[in-house]
Amino acid sequence: MPKIRRSSLWLTLTSALAIGLLVACAQPTAEPAAPVEPAGPAEAAPTAEPVQPAEPAEPSTLTVLEWAYYEVPEMWVEFGQEHPEVEVVFNFGASDADIFAKTLAGSGEDILHFYTPYLQFYVDEGLIQPIDTSKMENWDKVPAGFADSCTVDGVVYCVPWDWGFTSILYRTDMIPEGIDSWNALFDEKYAGHVSMWDDGPVGAVPIASVVRGYDPSNLTPDQLEEIKQMWIAQRDVNTFYWVDEPTLEEGFKSGEVWLAYAWNGAYYRLLAEGLPVEYAEPVEGRESWIGQYSISSGTENYDLALAFLDGKLGEQTATRLLVDYAYGHVVPDYYSVVEDANLIKALSLDDPTILNRTNFTVAISRDEHDIYSQMWAEVKAAP
Amino acid sequence: MAIYSLRPDMRGGLFTLDWTPTLKHYRTILEGEGYLPLLGTSVRVAFVVAALSTLLAYPVAYFLVFRAGKRAPLFLTLLIIPFWTSYLLRIIAWRIILRTTGLYALNSKVLLLDSFGAGEPLAIGLYRVTVIITLTYVWIPFVALPIYAGLQRIDRSLLEAAAILGSPPWRSFVRVTMPLSLPGVIAGFLMVFIPTVGEYVTPVLVGGSRSSLIGNIIQTFFGSGINWPLGSAMALIMLLGVLALTALVARLVDLRRFLE
Repeated sequence: MPKIRRSSLWLTLTSALAIGLLVACAQPTAEPAAPVEPAGPAEAAPTAEPVQPAEPAEPSTLTVLEWAYYEVPEMWVEFGQEHPEVEVVFNFGASDADIFAKTLAGSGEDILHFYTPYLQFYVDEGLIQPIDTSKMENWDKVPAGFADSCTVDGVVYCVPWDWGFTSILYRTDMIPEGIDSWNALFDEKYAGHVSMWDDGPVGAVPIASVVRGYDPSNLTPDQLEEIKQMWIAQRDVNTFYWVDEPTLEEGFKSGEVWLAYAWNGAYYRLLAEGLPVEYAEPVEGRESWIGQYSISSGTENYDLALAFLDGKLGEQTATRLLVDYAYGHVVPDYYSVVEDANLIKALSLDDPTILNRTNFTVAISRDEHDIYSQMWAEVKAAP
Repeated sequence: MAIYSLRPDMRGGLFTLDWTPTLKHYRTILEGEGYLPLLGTSVRVAFVVAALSTLLAYPVAYFLVFRAGKRAPLFLTLLIIPFWTSYLLRIIAWRIILRTTGLYALNSKVLLLDSFGAGEPLAIGLYRVTVIITLTYVWIPFVALPIYAGLQRIDRSLLEAAAILGSPPWRSFVRVTMPLSLPGVIAGFLMVFIPTVGEYVTPVLVGGSRSSLIGNIIQTFFGSGINWPLGSAMALIMLLGVLALTALVARLVDLRRFLE
């Protein structure tokens, strides 16, 4: 009997351990890039000196709702140099939807970073305020096309910063004939080796629209139904929907994925690793995205926030964005710093006409976003 | 969640009270072609996973209680050790084993799965099977523990009595051990069935384009879809469905005991 008692005790202990571990480990999240603790340079700066009682002002704080990896001081060099007394605190969002939902919930950061086409949603909800570009030294360096992406009804609501392409990334050893159309995502020839991004409104709807030649900003219900059927049928070709770039890149490396809807960062990384990949130039045009910063309507640090955004357009920050992260910066004057051949290729910096052949993300309303998301859910739920 | 499901949309902030209740999201779900059938599919997948993991866990628990002897604590520890690894890591490990290339090519030789074609992509429809295999693996230790506890509570003198009265071991198992361990089996089954209906990580990681479960659709509405009211309505329908099924199972089990 003592044996049984001992093993009962053992069972209880191991069960408790298992349940405890499970609770700790099983917080399922499909999102990539676990947010790290805010790590501004002010944390590392020496703060051990006691503050004199007579000292008039305490260092101020600026808060940014940001994507992971953009919090490093290299991504805001100029502001860090000009305002060493300001502590920049970063909170993180895992996706555009996440950042929008957090802002809606009143998370209260001074600055928000989001991507096209979300600007309109923030304007509609009154979550952001106009940018006083006259107070920005670097604003004039922003090309008109990028500035227009931040303008709603003649008012500038954001500062464009990072940009990149969306196109079909493919393995040249598996597809030696090359890819010249977005239609390849639907081609049965590649069944089991295609991977599409898991997104309806920004991913699936615009791509199917350009394939069919429809105006993505003005789709009729019949056209949308056709697009839905296209993606339902595409599931027999598609191996998996990717939600984060590391998963997609792993698919390419293992040989499972031959072609995919992809951003140019993945192209650059795989190219740098020596994988035989190419980034298509579809006849319908590449798609592209623009990252934008806005100042929240509830901020009490407007001038400081504006200075932060002005610094984002500075040369040192731009250089780090280009060289370290392989993403485009909106000011073309700085591109000459890039010497890495792979990076020049990934950003098509050697092709001055590439942007003329690129489709920029069209603005959509909240209603359209809801309808397109629902369509995408129906694609995934279809029997 | 019930209140949120009545909101028409998310305009005006997350916590505003300035809206008129509507049932339109329930209508969307009921009229949608795929949502309810997908709930049915999710229930079926959860049932298969729960049944498989219970079937596989029972011999493990039986061995621990009746055969392992002094080494039972050691084997129990071995059973628990996978919990020391992250849940996600275990699923990703299965992703490598089951997906088309990499280790799959090797495994297809070892496991004689050549009929799928080594190095060739699995038929997309088969990815639901990979989801079931992975989930079954994840749940086996969970189910084994309540069954283990149930078996341990059995009074050994009953088995001795059966043997003395001339019952062969298989009959003792069917007439004594099995019925007495049933509460543990049912508890283990439900412990797997209930969370598996809403599972969404495993289909994303090891599944393909055709292996979404209802949890993935709910996640879409709470994530990129930014449509929490519709997601809430769907989650509520799933919750009620699972509750009803669980109540039904509980009822059936009681009924059986009554008949015995």
